[in-house]
Amino acid sequence: MILYDYVLSASCYKVRLMAALLGVRLEVKAVNFHPARDHKSAEMLRLNPQGTLPVLVDGDLVLTQSANMLRHLARQNAPQWLGEASGQIDPWLDFAGELNASLGMARLHDVLGFDADIVQVRRDGIRQLRKMEAHLAEQRFAGMGFLAGVAPTIADIACFPNTALAPDGGVSLDPYPSIRLWMRAIRSVPGFVEMPGIHRLHELAPAPERSR
Amino acid sequence: MPGRIDGQDIAIWRGASGQVHAWGDRCPHRGMRLSHGFVRGETLACIYHGWQYDADGGCDHIPAHPNLVPPKTICATTYSCAESDDVIWVALRPTDEKCPSLAGLRGVRSLTIDAAAEQVASHFGQAVNAILRLGTADNITLALQPMDADHCTAHALSDARADRTDVSRWLEHQRRVIEGQPA
Ligand SMILES: N[C@@H](CCC(=O)N[C@@H](CS)C(=O)NCC(=O)O)C(=O)O
Ligand code: FES
Repeated sequence: MILYDYVLSASCYKVRLMAALLGVRLEVKAVNFHPARDHKSAEMLRLNPQGTLPVLVDGDLVLTQSANMLRHLARQNAPQWLGEASGQIDPWLDFAGELNASLGMARLHDVLGFDADIVQVRRDGIRQLRKMEAHLAEQRFAGMGFLAGVAPTIADIACFPNTALAPDGGVSLDPYPSIRLWMRAIRSVPGFVEMPGIHRLHELAPAPERSR
Repeated sequence: MPGRIDGQDIAIWRGASGQVHAWGDRCPHRGMRLSHGFVRGETLACIYHGWQYDADGGCDHIPAHPNLVPPKTICATTYSCAESDDVIWVALRPTDEKCPSLAGLRGVRSLTIDAAAEQVASHFGQAVNAILRLGTADNITLALQPMDADHCTAHALSDARADRTDVSRWLEHQRRVIEGQPA
């Protein structure tokens, strides 16, 4: 499986993270999204006329939406990641798309200088974070630590990157204790991998020896 | 975890023994937020360069200089901090005051509100106070944390038998009213 990838993209990281958690090896092809805009090159547009990253190629199957890539990886390797009912999962995959348009865009604006209505995208992002915070609190009351149950699903992987990177777009995560607990739970899943701006839980590794 | 009290940024952390600590949220090294750090045993390590601070706030290890005993002057700002009835209390100035009793109540959740503590208190017809007992059937009680001129956090508790989801949704509704947002 080939992933056309940009290391700073939240949507590409969703796919790398899902594959790592499932133990699937991806052949990663780095595309110079910024500053070269190689995702709009003739070669990339032949593969994905929308000119977006990520693109996942598995044999003759070409996927251009990260949500579909998560579904594909889970279906083939560990269907429990699809959750018990798609009715509980799909709304969160749509929600992840909204987060990409709000918090994701705020971050592209602040970090890569993209053009955006920064006040509006931050305001949208905060409204969505409050919604997720309330949902995760209710999940906790019912003994569940993830968006769709007691175990993580593709819904969590889809929503995690743009949430965790919100501070890069000028949106603080300080007001959301349930979201922070949830992010810790995701970062505790065996096989978790980092991206720039999202680090692993250092406390899970043994302390290095002190030579003194 | 981060917290803000009367304009001061605080890092609140719990050691492996369960002891809670409240420190100024700035690493003495380069000012990184200590609330982004990580806990090992009874020490807090800064995420940036890994300086480690023991329970009394003193720096006891600098990974880049493993053989150096850090001077006693490298110290995080510490505040007094106590835990009682599901709530962690922090005092910015030394005090003999006891933590208010919230016996019989159970923590529900903490909501940050885009309004001053005074405005939240007056919305519920009360004077501003560390504790607001709202007199609802579920005994909803708010421990009110003033953050700055425009924000506070309401730590909500209710009867242990109350349905926390209902309490949470009722609080969301009250917040929309206080902030003047469309329902
Ligand atoms: N629908 C895509 C959205 C991904 C996305 O927003 N990709 C950005 C990079 S982070 C992109 O390619 N933007 C270029 C463009 O929209 O022209 C998905 O989730 O897979
Ligand atoms: S800023 Fe904390 S260790 Fe350097």
